[in-house]
Amino acid sequence: MASVSALNSPTTAAPKASRSSRRSGGRPRFGRTAVLVIAALYFIGPLVCSFLFTVDSDPAKGFTFSAYSQIFSVAGLWPALQLSLLLAAATILVVFLLLIPTVIAVRLGSPRLRSVVEFVCMLPLVVPSIALTAGINILLRWGTEYLPPTPFWVTFVDMQNGSFPVILLLAYVVMALPLAFRTLDSGMRAIDVRTLLEAAQNNGAGRARAIVTVILPNLRGAMLNAGMLTLALVLGEFTVSSILGYTPFAVWIVNGNAADDGTVTTAVSLISLMLTWAALLVMSVSGGRRKAASNKPAT
Amino acid sequence: MSNAAPTVATAVPSDTEKSASVEFRGLRRSFGSATALAGLDLTVQPGELLALLGPSGCGKTTALRMLAGFETPDSGEVLLDGEDITGVPAHRRDAGMVFQSYSLFPHLNARDNVAFGLRMRRVGTAERRARADELLELVGLPQYGDRYPHQLSGGQQQRIALARALALRPRVLLLDEPLSALDAKVRMNLREEIRRLQQELQITTLFVTHDQEEALSMADRVAVMRDGRLEQCATPSELYARPATAFVAEFVGTMNRIAGHVGSDPAVVEVLGQRLPVDGTLSAADTDVDVLVRPENVLLEIRTSGGGPVVTSTSFLGAVTRLTVQLQDGSTIKADLSTHDAAGLPAGSSVTVRLPERPVLVDTRS
Amino acid sequence: MSTIDPLAPTGAAGADRSRRRLRSSLRKAAAGRVAVLPLLLFVAVAFGLPAVAMAYGSFTTYAPGQPSHYTTGNLSASLSGGYLTALLGSVKLSAIAALIATVLGLLLAQAVVTSRFEVLRHAVLSASGVLANFGGVPLAFAFIATLGNNGLLTQHLHLTAAGWNLYDLTGLGLVYLYFLIPLMVLTVIPALDGLRKQWREAAQNNGAGLWQYWRYVALPVLTPSLLGGFVLLFGSAFAAYATAAAMVGAGGAVPLITLQIAASLNGNVDANATNVALAMSLDMVVISVLVMAVYLPLQRRSARWLV
Repeated sequence: MASVSALNSPTTAAPKASRSSRRSGGRPRFGRTAVLVIAALYFIGPLVCSFLFTVDSDPAKGFTFSAYSQIFSVAGLWPALQLSLLLAAATILVVFLLLIPTVIAVRLGSPRLRSVVEFVCMLPLVVPSIALTAGINILLRWGTEYLPPTPFWVTFVDMQNGSFPVILLLAYVVMALPLAFRTLDSGMRAIDVRTLLEAAQNNGAGRARAIVTVILPNLRGAMLNAGMLTLALVLGEFTVSSILGYTPFAVWIVNGNAADDGTVTTAVSLISLMLTWAALLVMSVSGGRRKAASNKPAT
Repeated sequence: MSNAAPTVATAVPSDTEKSASVEFRGLRRSFGSATALAGLDLTVQPGELLALLGPSGCGKTTALRMLAGFETPDSGEVLLDGEDITGVPAHRRDAGMVFQSYSLFPHLNARDNVAFGLRMRRVGTAERRARADELLELVGLPQYGDRYPHQLSGGQQQRIALARALALRPRVLLLDEPLSALDAKVRMNLREEIRRLQQELQITTLFVTHDQEEALSMADRVAVMRDGRLEQCATPSELYARPATAFVAEFVGTMNRIAGHVGSDPAVVEVLGQRLPVDGTLSAADTDVDVLVRPENVLLEIRTSGGGPVVTSTSFLGAVTRLTVQLQDGSTIKADLSTHDAAGLPAGSSVTVRLPERPVLVDTRS
Repeated sequence: MSTIDPLAPTGAAGADRSRRRLRSSLRKAAAGRVAVLPLLLFVAVAFGLPAVAMAYGSFTTYAPGQPSHYTTGNLSASLSGGYLTALLGSVKLSAIAALIATVLGLLLAQAVVTSRFEVLRHAVLSASGVLANFGGVPLAFAFIATLGNNGLLTQHLHLTAAGWNLYDLTGLGLVYLYFLIPLMVLTVIPALDGLRKQWREAAQNNGAGLWQYWRYVALPVLTPSLLGGFVLLFGSAFAAYATAAAMVGAGGAVPLITLQIAASLNGNVDANATNVALAMSLDMVVISVLVMAVYLPLQRRSARWLV
């Protein structure tokens, strides 16, 4: 029955000897570590071996980094890489032009629209790239047979131009659609599009302006992600390019360098793998940090 | 809810077990630099419903989870019926828990959810089914056994969760803010049902909530916590009328602070022109203090002469109207009057403010 | 007593108002459709044309100088002899590799999700993204350098003497795991994240130990995702070409349907081979459609439980 002012803060008893508060759960942790170690061996092992192959394959030459220095001088690599990068840039551009309006429309539209778009973006998964290539192949054959007298002939030949084959661009965009759509769509899921648009319109922005100034900046992360994955896809694409007879990056790695015993091509493939992984890792970490910062409640 | 009240035979376990007591002794827990519990000492009497009440981060959920076995204290003990269970793993404890949300297994229907614990104990299928149906009837959902969680409303899901928690006849029932995720009306109904069930089964229950109205209306005793410490543990009426600390006074219900002064006699305080006895004993004399008064204890009368306190705004709350009054020193207080009486005191009225001639609670000037 | 809804349009003004409302919602729907039109057109041309051409070519013959006519001969050829062996080989390899990768991928994903190190999760997820999508060329090279006839491990452990050959179905399967396991990890990590902590605690509260929790709660809830993942892996392995081509080259050395199609397209076989290749492609599409038909409902079910 003490008055308010007289009440003391609850007495703090002297802390007893603390026991280990973290239950170490020995058995599950051991299993987990074993799985991680075995996985590391399986995945890193071949990479290590291929690295060793690039530096120490020829007993006569011994340990040397010559494979890596040759990268800059070896025939065919740079044109092939340039072709791939050019195609990748074009693919990313076309993919964004097609998908960004789509992804916004899907978010604001009816569920039926969404089902249609999801179905369309699922189609390339149903037709394996080899089958698609077969279809393109026969289209080209018919074109060569039936188009010469028509005015389309010139365009047709141009599309297969070796320095920028539009035909490859079309195939790449189709192959990139499923993954890019899923990435952009889940990026849209993270923003409350309808509310943001209505707030922008309430502040005087027209619909188109609202989309450009409010939605797109919030999609930056997803766009970067989709762009990186598309880049990786184009750089690694082999099926369509090789069968149709072009030589972008991946095709050069497999076929390009006949003179060499394979150290240079292996070195190049190793580097491309590492660089792509580093880029995705940086994006993943910075994306996670950005999300954590935005989730922190205002103090 | 079924109209037929469950009979006593099904409600009370045939083997009337003695209700269990729970004791927290000196519990401490820190997560990195944040202290969740800073030495909690609390005893729960057999058969009582004790509410752990406090703002977010006060440690109430941590304490409950320590009883369930999901957290381990850095130091201190948890005792159930006098025996130390601090080292017992969670799946061997005898405390049924109802979580805040999403705790029903999505791939099992209601009956299988309720019978899950019995299945872990290898009870036979027929007996499991019978007991599950018995519990579904107890919580008022006898026809819902075949429904899946995604086919049930929030309130129904929590009833199933309650049935599941009671299936193994635990010695203690733990409820971790079970009503927070529900609509207001559903919350009211479920609140009464939980209390009714608890009293019928006479099961010792710990109930965590941040809603003081819930705690006050349901519990036998309420333990108010702040920053990992116990502020006061008492019956709801005592908590409301005789708060032990300023925090409790202001957390439970609304409390006015009116400037007052204690002179040479520490048993008397001067406030609003009155001299009133102090409730309790003061440590010092000759100081400025705050007098703590509930809004329903503020007496207002219309004043014919000008000057003095003025009603600045009124808030219609149904049976009661809350008036905001500005005192002469500029501070504002709240006064609750019956709506009938408040009709004569609209905003702008001059009033006199008086306190009843009773001992008042006093706190150091903030 | 009839009640009047004050908001219901009545009379001429009301009819006009509801007409306007209908028009604005139609306009919004039309805007949505316009935004999606470029995508639909593009897919119709860049994908639809080759797909239709493939279907058409499967059912026609080709001989230079002669008009083509409809036939089912291509299809029956694609399902007999060497081509059939290739198809069955692909199915067998894909099914077994997918099964192994499903189990191993689940174990790896669980180890990553429950680890204390956030960096590990980022590293594994991004690495999986690369390996699952980049294409099989670098990994083919890596394995040739490790376990090929002159590979490092082959030489040091004398594997050729023990009968090991990287360039048969078993060796290829081992290589396929390199991109199948990451694909499984990517698919199943969201499902593992979706396992709510409350389920584990509720299970413990009801007396379930770790093993019982997995057997009665976690695995049943994960099963649709696991099945869906298996099916996705099967489809991916079935359609793979780059890895096998980089290792073995197009042709009949290893019985895989993708290699057979490539060989036929390169025109080293008889003139009608291209159309048989189209028929084989059609077979592949049929199998892929079956794969999708199983995968989609499973994915929907798991999404319902694990959201």
